[in-house]
Amino acid sequence: MSAPPKTFLYRYSWLTRASHWLWVLAFAVLVSSGLQIFNASPNLDASDKSDPARRVLAIGSPADGIGTTTVFGRTFTTTGLLGWTDDGMGDRGAHAFPAWLTIPGFQDLSGGRRWHFFFAWIAAFCWLAWIVSTARRGTLRQMILLPSDLPKLWPMQAYYFKLRKEPPPHGLYNPLQKAAYTTIGFIVAPLVVLTGLALSPGIDAIAQPLTAVLGGRQFARLWHFTGMLLLLGFFAIHVFQVATQNVVNQMRSMITGWYQTNET
Amino acid sequence: MSAALSGCGPVSNALVNNGAFQKLLTAAEPLNHALIGTRGLAREYRDGDVDRTFRVNGFSTPSNSRYQTLAASGFAGYRLLVDGAVERRGAFDLHALYAMPQQTQITRHDCVEGWSAIGKWSGVRLADVLDAVMPRGDARYAVFHCMDDDGQGHAYYESLDLHQARHPQALLALRLNDAPLDPDHGAPVRLRVPTQLGYKSAKWIARVELVGSFANIAAGQGGYWEDQGYEWYAGI
Repeated sequence: MSAPPKTFLYRYSWLTRASHWLWVLAFAVLVSSGLQIFNASPNLDASDKSDPARRVLAIGSPADGIGTTTVFGRTFTTTGLLGWTDDGMGDRGAHAFPAWLTIPGFQDLSGGRRWHFFFAWIAAFCWLAWIVSTARRGTLRQMILLPSDLPKLWPMQAYYFKLRKEPPPHGLYNPLQKAAYTTIGFIVAPLVVLTGLALSPGIDAIAQPLTAVLGGRQFARLWHFTGMLLLLGFFAIHVFQVATQNVVNQMRSMITGWYQTNET
Repeated sequence: MSAALSGCGPVSNALVNNGAFQKLLTAAEPLNHALIGTRGLAREYRDGDVDRTFRVNGFSTPSNSRYQTLAASGFAGYRLLVDGAVERRGAFDLHALYAMPQQTQITRHDCVEGWSAIGKWSGVRLADVLDAVMPRGDARYAVFHCMDDDGQGHAYYESLDLHQARHPQALLALRLNDAPLDPDHGAPVRLRVPTQLGYKSAKWIARVELVGSFANIAAGQGGYWEDQGYEWYAGI
């Protein structure tokens, strides 16, 4: 009574795997160094120049020992979490995001900028490597949401809601996966890069319409932050799905490339 | 995510004093410079967009006696020295600067900290001043020596390469919002470089020195903030 032989599919090329894990590292550094940069001016305004009347988010410390977060005009006390937090040097102070969440782990704008720009280039190259490696293997086409997939989106969701017995017929990736990959890989991630560039004075001089269409420099900063939150949301869902669906098989395939196709 | 990221600070701190790693990080600056460079024109705004109380960037009025004496005399004794690698050294008093063609620009000041403000600046194009002194062939940078210091012996200074210095919006500003510059905003002469971050727009300029290299000035990185780790190329 022996188990049927395991069958494996070589699912991810080395370039896909390397760029995936390097991207994980780069994303963590970009978020943390981005929070460091945010801390130097912990407000987000829906305007071109700074404008307190159009402030969407403000993290501050109105008095020693008190941290507050104001979102759309509503103020919450967030002492210890936001506004009045760990300063990374054994004390607490007026820091928007706590030092343990930032790179470097203390107030250092120039250091944060250096990390941020270096890993922004790394992330951009990872994105290119992912495009090249998946296009070469023909999987890129299977990841992109096409108009013909649109009618299958709800049936797929209905299957997940257990309203349907069978998922709609699909290829390597189901329509919801395709929607997620297309949105994140081809809309949100490029927008995060563009919004980051748009808040630079040198880029604004080259491409004034880019900054203008985003609503101006401070608005670009707000979009950049929002894009980061969307990427974090995708990351959370992605990790949840991997962790709850054949985690060993999935992790093996993204490390060694080999995915077991007849796993029970 | 916060659990995954907790410890980012401590981990990165281990690399803060690692010289080789820090050198690696600076590899982004020449890439940014090559990608963005100094091209195009900063957006110009209308009168109605101006911040009437323009936020003071960097330090406020210098406290040293040299500056205080000059300010007390209404900058009557002020001379902007332009020297170094030039054919014809210049010393411009305020009358001479006001007698030159004046440019007015309403541009946004983008601070490295992340805030921005819009001001109406008038003054002399830096390119016109350079033309008057005729930089020699070996001049590559204009170094701006300022009248303030941080109280620890470090004088403020900045630098631009000659391509940046000749940008049509690079301005030696004399006026802000239709009035002569006040001491907090850099009186009597400050730089305005709207295509780069605010720390490039040095205040209280006393001397413009044309040099082939800034390696021997202060800590050698081309500016007060650059000496403390900020990028020399401040277009991003």
